[in-house]
Amino acid sequence: MMKRTTSIVCACILLAIAAASRAVDTSKLIGVDLWSVKPVQHVEPPADGEAAKWSSNPIDRFVRAAQQQRGLTPVKPADRRTLIRRAYFDLIGLPPTPEQVAAFVNDKRDNAWSKVIDELLASPAYGERWGRHWLDVVRYADTAGDNSDYPVPQLYKYRNYVIDAFNDDKPYDQFIREQIAGDLMPHADDAERREHIIATGYIALSRRFGSQVKNYPQYLTIEDTIDNLGKSVLGLSINCARCHDHKYDPISNDDYYALYGFFASTQYAFPGIELLRAQKDFVPLIPQEQADAKLAPFREKIAAEQKKLDDLLGQRSKAQKELTAAKNARSKVKDDADKQDVDKQVTELTQRVDALRKQYKKQERVISSARQNKPHIEDAYGICEGKPMDVHIQVKGNPKDKGPLAKRHFLTILGGQTLPTEVKDSGRLQLAQWLTAKSNPLTARVMANRIWQHHFGVGIVATPNDFGNRGKPPTHPKLLDYLAKRFMSDGWSIKKMHRLVMTSKTYQLASDNDPANARIDPTNDYLWRARVRRLDAEAIRDTMLAISGKLDRQPLNEPHPFPSPDKWNFTQHRPFKAVYESNKRSVYLMTQRIQKHPYLALFDGADTNASTGQRDASTTTLQALYMLNDPFVHEQADALAARLIDGAKQDTQRVRQAFEMVYSREPSEGEVKMTLDYLNQIQARYKAVGSDQAEPRRAAWASLCRAMLRSNEFLFVE
Amino acid sequence: MSRFFQHAGYSRRDMLRSMVAGSAVMPGILDLLMASESRGATAAAAASANPLAPKPPHFPARAKRVIFLFQPGGVSHVDSFDPKPKLNAMDGKDRLLGSLWKPRTWGSHGTQATDLFPHIAASLDDICLIRSMHTDHNDHFQSTLGIHTGSVTFARPSIGSWVSYGLGTMNQNLPSFMVIAPQLPYAGTQVYSNDFLPAYHQGTRVIPGPDPIRNLHPRTKVADVQAMELGLVEAFNKKHLGHHPTSTDLAARIRSYETAFRMQTEAPAAFDLSDESDATLAMYGLKRGQTEGYGWQCLIARRLAERGVRFIELIDVGAHNNWDAHANMASHGPLAKNIDKPIAGLIADLKQRGMLEETLIVWTTEFGRTPHHDSPKGRSHHNRCFTSWLAGGGVKPGYVHGASDELGRNIASDGVHTHDFHATILYLLGLHHEKLTYKHAGRDFRLTDVAGHVVHDVIA
Repeated sequence: MMKRTTSIVCACILLAIAAASRAVDTSKLIGVDLWSVKPVQHVEPPADGEAAKWSSNPIDRFVRAAQQQRGLTPVKPADRRTLIRRAYFDLIGLPPTPEQVAAFVNDKRDNAWSKVIDELLASPAYGERWGRHWLDVVRYADTAGDNSDYPVPQLYKYRNYVIDAFNDDKPYDQFIREQIAGDLMPHADDAERREHIIATGYIALSRRFGSQVKNYPQYLTIEDTIDNLGKSVLGLSINCARCHDHKYDPISNDDYYALYGFFASTQYAFPGIELLRAQKDFVPLIPQEQADAKLAPFREKIAAEQKKLDDLLGQRSKAQKELTAAKNARSKVKDDADKQDVDKQVTELTQRVDALRKQYKKQERVISSARQNKPHIEDAYGICEGKPMDVHIQVKGNPKDKGPLAKRHFLTILGGQTLPTEVKDSGRLQLAQWLTAKSNPLTARVMANRIWQHHFGVGIVATPNDFGNRGKPPTHPKLLDYLAKRFMSDGWSIKKMHRLVMTSKTYQLASDNDPANARIDPTNDYLWRARVRRLDAEAIRDTMLAISGKLDRQPLNEPHPFPSPDKWNFTQHRPFKAVYESNKRSVYLMTQRIQKHPYLALFDGADTNASTGQRDASTTTLQALYMLNDPFVHEQADALAARLIDGAKQDTQRVRQAFEMVYSREPSEGEVKMTLDYLNQIQARYKAVGSDQAEPRRAAWASLCRAMLRSNEFLFVE
Repeated sequence: MSRFFQHAGYSRRDMLRSMVAGSAVMPGILDLLMASESRGATAAAAASANPLAPKPPHFPARAKRVIFLFQPGGVSHVDSFDPKPKLNAMDGKDRLLGSLWKPRTWGSHGTQATDLFPHIAASLDDICLIRSMHTDHNDHFQSTLGIHTGSVTFARPSIGSWVSYGLGTMNQNLPSFMVIAPQLPYAGTQVYSNDFLPAYHQGTRVIPGPDPIRNLHPRTKVADVQAMELGLVEAFNKKHLGHHPTSTDLAARIRSYETAFRMQTEAPAAFDLSDESDATLAMYGLKRGQTEGYGWQCLIARRLAERGVRFIELIDVGAHNNWDAHANMASHGPLAKNIDKPIAGLIADLKQRGMLEETLIVWTTEFGRTPHHDSPKGRSHHNRCFTSWLAGGGVKPGYVHGASDELGRNIASDGVHTHDFHATILYLLGLHHEKLTYKHAGRDFRLTDVAGHVVHDVIA
């Protein structure tokens, strides 16, 4: 759904850029020749020669021209069954049903392929798949990451916002602006306001640290914000400039603290912590006046309790001072009788200080539990304006060691825009606009590369979160610029990018090997064939559920079943820890920061503590043990076996169905025979043993299904 | 021989052969089964690109493996291995708290320790104490992370993962890094996380009890059905691999099933103590048949060490009811009793088997505890100074490195930061801490961040 505000915001950008241009001195920066900070070039795809003859798709022309230079020849196109399986996993993370495969294979019309793409892009499952890629990048978790790992029940709203944004094909620039400054953006109605606030969950979900309220390490949370913002939107490791100028990239220590100021001027919702076991500063989703009215008595109560706490602190420090004075006095007293007096005084004061310390701790708990009884209003884990400020450089990253003041501005190398004088707030809206300005060379390149990566397994830049001097340079720099320009001129539409990529011949190649090509380009950097890719953790689990018939396709539109907030007593000694079982898609699994989800950790799920630009695809013995013996796998195999047995009358038909469901293809005659032999052997085995398996036939089919789920053909996409 | 084969009236070997003859089923797994039948024959270990294959160290190693004993909550140095007569004398003055345990002289080097750990103290001739440890943070979560990963803020790979990455492992049928822990300490699974290192290097948690590793036991009740399934998988995979002969990923995945298949036998054997003598069980304070307790953890550690596991971590207690003695130091008593005899037994057992010199034992905690009281009888966290110790694996036996001041408050000499501690452990394994790097997010990362000095003084 396109929002009317888009155009308003676009106008704002132009104004902001015009107002804030300044002469920028980049002479002190390191590595200014970095390719990725140069403007995105307007390039035309090669228009003549072999490349143009091969294909009319612009991607193909760039790719083919690069191949030609190296003496590479693309392999043959993939067959339709391979292709549809690839498209389904790429776009929705689920396999096609045998009927969907058959429909495509038998569809002889010219637009059969683009129809498949359109159907998949229109499926709600698309957002669940591609939203998950973004959740990887923003290190999404359902908990805060402090020492006790407080749960944040409201975070599901942000997760669903991301899924919806992909499904709605929200323009990517708007998507970024909403996440950074949604609270400051104009909105047409309450629904849009609500959506904008939920979007700022992106900033709020920065990692939290520690257990204490006093000396709360907000500077680490802000570092995490900047680190993630740099990697996710710009592909830059900005946080390397926290303690000193970046060692390789053109980012200064001043740049880092210039960005820091935007977030120091921002109030983050507070998820709770060991010494304050309740949420505060969550952003109401109902109109502010209503929220204020509803919260007034609560706020008064908290203020009163807080005043008591402050008083206790005052009394304690007074008593502490008196105690120190008395101790000093004691050393000077000569007379024994006086000494006794002073000793008595010291004892009394020590007791008083101890008593006040206890009262203080007790009062902290009173506030904690008072906060737990906050009246319910619908709110979001988001951000709002704090006290606008510029911050001092923290020398060597030490927040206690103040260096020069760093006025808020954008990265020097990207223009160094400063806030117009009329801006009196945090300036986040301007920051969001600078980030998404079409003149910014990184934002479009980075996202175009991410889209490419999820279609081809490796990006044009193989280090998707690092477009810096230590990252990998692009294999196809002109193509990347073409895609970035096209992305922007197509209204930052991600779905249009999918269509462009998937209708290329390059995307539709088979995964066949070719020894001559392999000698020249063994890692297939130049895309002469399709890469064979392992399914990621979510796709493995979702697919097993899908083919067993147990997958619950309904989204999760409510919080996870966390304990109720009035029972929150999590401490670092007894942190929040839970695993919630569900048959919904894996994007809806509850994930934590301190406690890895046991299944997702096993299959290289996203890091919940730092941006994951690209998943690993490791192969471990523990994964094999999971596939061998985990009850989940056995349950899905049992259910699939039952489906097969009930779904056809003859074993041969059943075997065909099994291959169609698990591999999206028909078996060869040899495979049918081998499989039938296998089933007979297993059945015979069970019968001979006289095992307690009620039905040897079912047991044999389950055994076959387990074997198929463990096979490479299931686990890899070609 | 399985019940089935007996029942069917022919030998397992015949059965296996007939499985091949009857269909295209088997090859690789069959090799394994046949090999285990004929004893002497070794399974054809496919030495294809294996990320856990043993790697040579940077320079000759003193230790081949590590047993890392971690005590959560913060063990008091002044009540254990760094006794302070002056503190005891000043008990009650300036909030100072004397120790409940009496200092004594132990071993042939005249080393002082209290009688909190009488068995370990009696082994001090084999131990190198470091009384000048310090760390960057004074809270549990952060310092637990610090001693495991070198970082007190952000999640980073664990030391066990770094060692696995640096050296690979000797036994391909067991994980390279195993963590035997009844409960998780502060920072949860982050203490054994591979983080940005490849997942092969993550710690595998062993939970004491009858089922110590998840999914280790075949779920199919009829013997050899699982082997037959794997035979079919292999037939499918071979055909599939035929289309992708150059794919190492696919080959590695096939191999992982063979390893998992063997691990189902190998790992339970490591956990089966029936071949241990009564005398050995007694050294660890174990009763026959016992499958949990710290003595069990220590004996399993020795058995895993024997089987070539590179890095074994033992954690005695979890994130609560641990060494965090704010209320009363007396709570150290039962916790010490739980680990004292087993640890001394482990040292003695490794020694009598000639394994101590190539096994580095590391004993550590999060931080020490304050010389002054917190509540009247307890102590608070103290990161400025605490004690850890090393034994075996090329360290000086019976030696004391560094010293704290007369109250145990500050370091008096030769401070050892956790980064130095890590650099030293790596050094003993033949790894240079500045060269053990992994490129991630555009830069090289190390266990020791940008710091760390090897403490050569503790090395024999």
